Amino acid sequence: MRILNYAGIALALAAPAALAAQDIAIKNATIATITNGDIQNGTIVIQKGKITAVGANVQIPAGMKTIDGTGKFVMPGIIDAHSHAALEGGINENSESVTPEVQVQLKNDDPVIYRALAGGVIAANQLHGSANTIGGQSRVIKFKWGMPVDSMYFKGAYRIVKFALGENVTRASSDAGIDDRRFPMSRMGVDFLLHYWFDKAKDYDKEWQDYRAEVKKNPNALMPRRDLRLEALVDILHGDLKVHAHSYRGDEILMLIRAADDEGFKINTFQHALEAYKVADEIKAHGATVSTFADMWAYKAEAWDAIPFNMALLTERGVLVSVNSDSDERIRRLYQEAGVGVRYGNMPVNEALKMITLNPAKQLGVDKWVGSLEVGKDGDIAIFNSHPFSPTAMVEYTIIEGKVYFDRNDAVTLRKSVANTGPGGAK
Amino acid sequence: MARVSFLAIPLALAAAAAAGGQQVTPRASTPLPGAPDVDYALTNVRIVTAPGKVIERGTVVTHDGRIAAVGATVNIPANVVRLDLAGHTVYPGLIDAATSTGLPSPTRAPAAANADAAAGRGGGRGGRGAAPPGGGRASIPTAGRSSTPLPPVIEPEVDAAAEAADQFSPTDDELRAFRAGGVTTVGLVFNGGLFPGRVGAALTGARGGSRLGLKSSVGQEVFFGTKRNAYPSVGIGAVAFIRQAYLDAEYENRVDKALKAGNPAARPSNDPFRRALMPAAANEMASWFVASKERELTRVAEISKEMTIKAPVVVGAQEGWRSIPTLKAANATAVVSLEWPALDSVTGHNFLLYGVGRSGKLTPAEEAAGNSEIKANAAALVKAGVPVALASFGGTSGATFRERIKSSIDAGMSADDALRAVTVTPATILGISALVGTIDVGKLANFVVVSGNDLFATGNPIKHVFVEGRLY
Repeated sequence: MRILNYAGIALALAAPAALAAQDIAIKNATIATITNGDIQNGTIVIQKGKITAVGANVQIPAGMKTIDGTGKFVMPGIIDAHSHAALEGGINENSESVTPEVQVQLKNDDPVIYRALAGGVIAANQLHGSANTIGGQSRVIKFKWGMPVDSMYFKGAYRIVKFALGENVTRASSDAGIDDRRFPMSRMGVDFLLHYWFDKAKDYDKEWQDYRAEVKKNPNALMPRRDLRLEALVDILHGDLKVHAHSYRGDEILMLIRAADDEGFKINTFQHALEAYKVADEIKAHGATVSTFADMWAYKAEAWDAIPFNMALLTERGVLVSVNSDSDERIRRLYQEAGVGVRYGNMPVNEALKMITLNPAKQLGVDKWVGSLEVGKDGDIAIFNSHPFSPTAMVEYTIIEGKVYFDRNDAVTLRKSVANTGPGGAK
Repeated sequence: MARVSFLAIPLALAAAAAAGGQQVTPRASTPLPGAPDVDYALTNVRIVTAPGKVIERGTVVTHDGRIAAVGATVNIPANVVRLDLAGHTVYPGLIDAATSTGLPSPTRAPAAANADAAAGRGGGRGGRGAAPPGGGRASIPTAGRSSTPLPPVIEPEVDAAAEAADQFSPTDDELRAFRAGGVTTVGLVFNGGLFPGRVGAALTGARGGSRLGLKSSVGQEVFFGTKRNAYPSVGIGAVAFIRQAYLDAEYENRVDKALKAGNPAARPSNDPFRRALMPAAANEMASWFVASKERELTRVAEISKEMTIKAPVVVGAQEGWRSIPTLKAANATAVVSLEWPALDSVTGHNFLLYGVGRSGKLTPAEEAAGNSEIKANAAALVKAGVPVALASFGGTSGATFRERIKSSIDAGMSADDALRAVTVTPATILGISALVGTIDVGKLANFVVVSGNDLFATGNPIKHVFVEGRLY
């Protein structure tokens, strides 16, 4: 199992050809399928990058590279619904507050990707920051470290746009002078901006609908100007661009739900949503989901009223919940974050594991391919030395589409490199 | 000898003496070099008329700054200055396909500059501003947000119709430096901004009687820059801004067309920025993107695809070898900067350091391999069939440029391919192949003469440089 090692050296600085998806099997392991229970002494077979067999009595095709999983724990590769790793060119276009036309730009050799792989993470939603009412379009990527940018895109994933509410947008904690701040500076302003821009988007949508009707009668009709900002807002109204909204307080969550209902669009996921437990039923009724922190709060006023039972309470109320990192440090140990749900609120272990696998997969629109170990899904798995909720759990292998992207046997001294950039590899 | 100005004689004499050639009747002395109306005959010289085309012993005759005759046996008019160049080789003058030397900086002042300095820039484009932070690297800069209120700034970043060929205002030293490396023609590309202007071409002869600007509107330059405290203020915004700008120009093209067709609803904009981009959006003018890193080249390819830009030119392309399929799929031409990127900035440098048990150190062998890969960039692109022109963009032209060409040859580029990448190919993409790039009758008399038969041999001094028939 020195695949990564050789790959690393062979790639060197050369143009990385897309390596062929590999065939690999893991035997004698405890396998958490997420959707079909745990399998003891199970085997999983990945061929051409896809899971072709998973179960207790599975024959491994002759000659296939096989990892002995005795004593090990296999789970679907972890998915982070909120990350800013691997981005460049800024995360906030903060000259204006509504910029849904802006798209994140990826930095494909960011070391954070490698550290995330060391934590079993195989995919993430790369989001804008939260300085803007509407920050821009995020990108769901697989952590194929070192491959060209466009081969990291998770094809078929939702197109996602980041909204933000509250103190980051209003710059509540900014000590900048009034002249250097910009509208909106209050939650009222954010609410107003949403209505203002979606009303504009509806006019724009009508202009195009009129044109499409007109051009059938008059082929010389003048096609309207394409406006990327309004086009993105129209995509939101039509459900083609899914909203992930940075939020904390219960009241602002309700405000956004009302604004969305008013304007006729849906919130897909409330990000952070530390007070979501207060408005779980309203979130459920809207059809939204939540991606939250396990037990991090009180770092600012609007994050004060959080409880570690948020995940468990929301789950009990039937809200789909994921736990995310939003951090280049926590992305390495999302499995511990999920475990918090068991400690606080007695979440069933499988439900807790879902918060870093199937549930974020659903929030990102990729559950057809990842999030559980089922025949036909991508061969994206994390292999732990013990149950991931054990305090001594470590990832031994992270495999994406059958290819080993992380192998702890070859990465022991990686920690030295990480140490060079400080705790958590802070950038 | 009517046409031989007395002004030229001492120079011609000196040249002839240096070449060990024929004597020319001396006349009165003069301080001015390269008098405008001397014609030359370069005799007994090895002539590389174009890459791979050699006349082992022949003559080149100039007339009025152009090539009047070239061949093994040529009738030499009586009234020309003869230079016997036995033992020497004459090449087409070199073309540095992209430089911003002599151009004003379209970027704002560096982040460190204070508000007074920013105010002092006046019209923004007027002065020769400081180089942007990061030099010639095309990596998207990340703007910090200053808390100091700044004065309103004119937006030179989007003076999209500015002609580099008009703005080219090099110092005499800068012109001399170009020629010292055999560079007789340059492509002009702004270093900074967003749509800082249009790419042009210029000659490098001395001022006074000699023209500089050769061609304007060669291409529409696109640079992934930012504005200060205005949209786009960061790299991600720049990408969105660029995409929208192409869409707006495309819309203006539709409006103009509709107007011509008599559609009363068509209302052309009078926004000069939007109108300036119309030829590029219609693929009537090439789009020249400044981009170097692998992922930047991917961005260019993605924007080109989305905006139906048919044959983008990428300036920089320092990591082109990592992006060959991307460049080929985009039908891109690479204007490859010979300013080598630092090894630790190259995409993939991390791959060696992580996961293989290192503590941030490359072995000397890996370092050498990495650096030779950087230098083999142009060779790899040529081998893959990507059209390549070489440039000093982001670095220094002239003698350094010639040395870097030699490095590219050492790294695997054939001498003919290298010569093509500094003559024929840049002439083509700059739209001046009727004037420069080869030694053919009717083209400008731009030559570089060296002793022996290898222009790029290390330490081989340049004997003469001719720009538009003037001897330097």
